[in-house]
Amino acid sequence: MNQAKKKWLILPSLILVFVLVLSACGGGGSNSGGEKDSGPVTITYYTIDSPDRTYVEKLIPDFEKANPNIKVKVEKAPYEQFDSKLQANIAAKNSPDITSHFGYGGFAEYYNKDLLADLTDIMSEDGFKGSDFGISDELMDIYKVDGKTYGIPFSNYVTILLYNKDMFDKAGVPYPPSDYEDKSWTFDKMVEVADKLTVRDDDIEKSAYGVNFGWGELDMRPAYFGVNVYSDDTWTNGGKPSETHFDSPEAIAAYQKLIDLIWDKKVSPPPAWSKSVAGQFGDPFLSGKVGMTVGGSWALASQDQFNFKIGVAAVPYGGNDKERSVLYVDPLFVLKGSKHPKESYEFIKFLISKDVQEKSIELSGGTPPINDQAKEKYYNSFDGVDPVAIKNVYDGANKYGVESYNHLVANYSQINELFINEFAAAENNTSPVDIVMQGIQKKLDKLLERVNK
Amino acid sequence: MSDTVIDKTPNIIIDPTKVKGDRKRRMTVGEIVAFVLLILLTCTMLFPVIFMISTALKTSKEMLQFPPTIIPETFAWDNFKTLFTNDEIKFGILYKNSIIVAGLSVVGTVFSSALVAYGFSRYRAKGKKIMFMLMISTMMLPYPAVMIPQFILFSNLGWMNTFLPLIVPTFLGSAYQIFLLRQFFMSLPNELYDSGKIDGCSEFRLFWKIALPLSGPALATVAIFTFIWTWNDLLGPVLYLSSQEKFTLPVGLAAMMSSKFRIAPYNLLMCASIMTTLPVVAIFASAQKHFTEGIVLTGIK
Repeated sequence: MNQAKKKWLILPSLILVFVLVLSACGGGGSNSGGEKDSGPVTITYYTIDSPDRTYVEKLIPDFEKANPNIKVKVEKAPYEQFDSKLQANIAAKNSPDITSHFGYGGFAEYYNKDLLADLTDIMSEDGFKGSDFGISDELMDIYKVDGKTYGIPFSNYVTILLYNKDMFDKAGVPYPPSDYEDKSWTFDKMVEVADKLTVRDDDIEKSAYGVNFGWGELDMRPAYFGVNVYSDDTWTNGGKPSETHFDSPEAIAAYQKLIDLIWDKKVSPPPAWSKSVAGQFGDPFLSGKVGMTVGGSWALASQDQFNFKIGVAAVPYGGNDKERSVLYVDPLFVLKGSKHPKESYEFIKFLISKDVQEKSIELSGGTPPINDQAKEKYYNSFDGVDPVAIKNVYDGANKYGVESYNHLVANYSQINELFINEFAAAENNTSPVDIVMQGIQKKLDKLLERVNK
Repeated sequence: MSDTVIDKTPNIIIDPTKVKGDRKRRMTVGEIVAFVLLILLTCTMLFPVIFMISTALKTSKEMLQFPPTIIPETFAWDNFKTLFTNDEIKFGILYKNSIIVAGLSVVGTVFSSALVAYGFSRYRAKGKKIMFMLMISTMMLPYPAVMIPQFILFSNLGWMNTFLPLIVPTFLGSAYQIFLLRQFFMSLPNELYDSGKIDGCSEFRLFWKIALPLSGPALATVAIFTFIWTWNDLLGPVLYLSSQEKFTLPVGLAAMMSSKFRIAPYNLLMCASIMTTLPVVAIFASAQKHFTEGIVLTGIK
C-alpha cells in the first residue's frame, strides 16, 4: 500500500516539474516586451537567416553608440519561410520595422498589399538627397510610385558575364571585353566565341558548352532584344500590367533565338546536361565546363571557391541599349505597421552611409554597395579578378540597366512559376516555341485577370 | 499474432540436420537472385547516405568539383569541429534546443493522447461518436489554415520566442496519435478491466496499471512518430522562435542554405545532417521491434 502511494505521487510531481520547466521557458518572453514608452525605442530589422544578410547584427553596436535612444533588434527566418513569418507577424500586429523583399515576393507585392510606409515626408523633412549617399536619381526612382518613395536602395547587384579563363586559354580565344561602349561585343559575337569553346561529345565528362545565358528571369528575356512584353502602365501603376504580349511575333522570335542557342547552334547546354553536371549546386558554370555565364553578380562573391580562374565581362549588346543588364537593386522598406518610422529611417541612413557600406562588403562576403563612395573598395575585394573590369561592368550595367521585373511586377512569384513550368517544354525541345508562348499567354491572361482585379 | 506462433511450431520440431540440408538446397537459385537483388537495392538506398558522408568530409573546393569524388581526396575532419565552434551556426545550442522541444513533446503527446484514447475506447457516452469524428476531422485541417490564428493566440499570450507554443499544444493530445492508441486499447480484452475492478482499482488505476503497461508497442510507436515529427518540424519553430539562442536544428539547417547569393556550405550542411539524423536512427534502431509490432497490432501504417 505504501509503495502504491509513493507511485501515485510520481504523477503529480511530474506534472509539477513540467509546469515549472514550461514557466521557466516562458519567463523571458514576458520581460522582453516590457520596455515600451520609457527610455530608448527598439526597432526590429527583419531579414534572411544567412551570413550575407545577418551581417547587419555586427553593425548595430556602432549605430547604438551614435544613437543612444534607439535599440535595434534583428529578427531572422530561413529564405523559404521568410514570407510566412512576416505575414504571421503582421497579422498579429507584431510587424517588424525595417525589411526588404528578401523572400519570394517583390516590391510590387509589398506595395499592393499596402504594407509599406510612405517615406516621402520623413525624407523631405530631413532634407534627404540621394547624392549625399552616392545614389543616383535613377536608382532612387526605382522604388517610387506616383512620386512617393517607399524604399531606399542599399545594395546594387547587376547582371554580368562571368567567363572561365582556363577554358578560353585552352581554346586560344581572346577574353571578352568588360567595356559596355565596345560595340563589337554583340550577342552574335558571343555566340561565335561560345561555338569555339563548345566541345560536342556524347561523353558528359568530355563535353563542354560555350555559354549559359541566364539573363533575368524567363519572362524578362525578350527585353534583352528590345521587345516589350508588359504594357507601359505596368511601371507606373504598381506592377499591374493591363496587357501582356508574350505571343507577339517579336517576343516569339526573341525566345526562339535563346532556344536556338541550345538546339540549333548547340552552344548552350540542354537542361538535362545542366542538371547532371550542376547537381544540387544549381549552377552548371561551377563545374568548369561552361565557358561563359550571364547572371547575377552575386556569383562573384563565391569565386574563391571555384576550381578555375574567372574574369568578368560586359553583357553583350542584344539590340537594346536601355535594357542590357538586369539590375537587382535591393531597397530597405519601413513597414506600415512600424511604430517608429523615424527611428527606422535613421537606421536605414546609417546602413547606406559610406563607412558602413564599406564595412558591409567584408562582413557580408561581397555585397555590392549602393553608395558610389564605397564602390572602389568593392571592386578591389575579389582576389584574382581585375578590379578595372569589375568597375567597367558595374558602370556599364548601371548605365544601360533596368531593374529586375521580379521587383516591379505584382504577383511575380506566380508569374515566374508559370513560366518555369510551361517554358520547360521549349527548353527541352519537346514543343515548338510559338505553341509554348501561345499557351503561356493564355494561362497568363487568366492568371492576371484573377490576381489583379 | 497467435496464428503465426502456431505456424512456426512445426518448423521448430523438425530435426535440425534436416533443416540444415533444407537450407542448403534452398540457397541455390531463387534465394541467390533475391539476395543479389536485395544487396543491389540496399546499395542504391545507401548511396545518398554515402554521398552525404563523403560530402561532409570534403573541403569547400572539392565539394564543387566535377565529376564529384566519392572518396574525398583529403579528409576534412575539421568540418565537424567547425560546425560546433562556428559562432554563426551555434550547433551545440541548436542541438540542445531540439532535444528539449522534441523530448517534452514526446512526453506530452504520449501521456495526453493515451488518456484521451483510453476514454474513447472504454466508455460509452452520448455523442461519443460525433466527438470522435470531430476529433478525427481535425486531422484534415492543414497547418497553414490554423497557422495565423494560432500565431495570434500565442502572441497575445506573450509566448513569442519561447518553446511554449511548440510544447504546450502537445500536452493537449494529437488527433492522429489518439486514433492510433484508441485502436490499440480497443483490442485489449474487457476481462482484464473487470478483474482489476474486482481487486478495487480506480478508473485511473485501470488506465495506469493495466492499459498502459500492456500497450508498450503502441506507446513506442506514438513516441517515435512524435519524436520524428517534432525533431524535423521547421515551420513551427521558425514562426515562434526569433533569437539564435532558441533556434532548433531544422531552423539552423534551413538557414545554412538560405542564401540566394552565396554557395551554401554543403560540406558543413552534410556534417550537420549526419549529426541530426543520428538520434532518429538510434531511436528507431533501438525501438524498431516495438515500433513494427505497434504498427502491425494497431493495423495502422
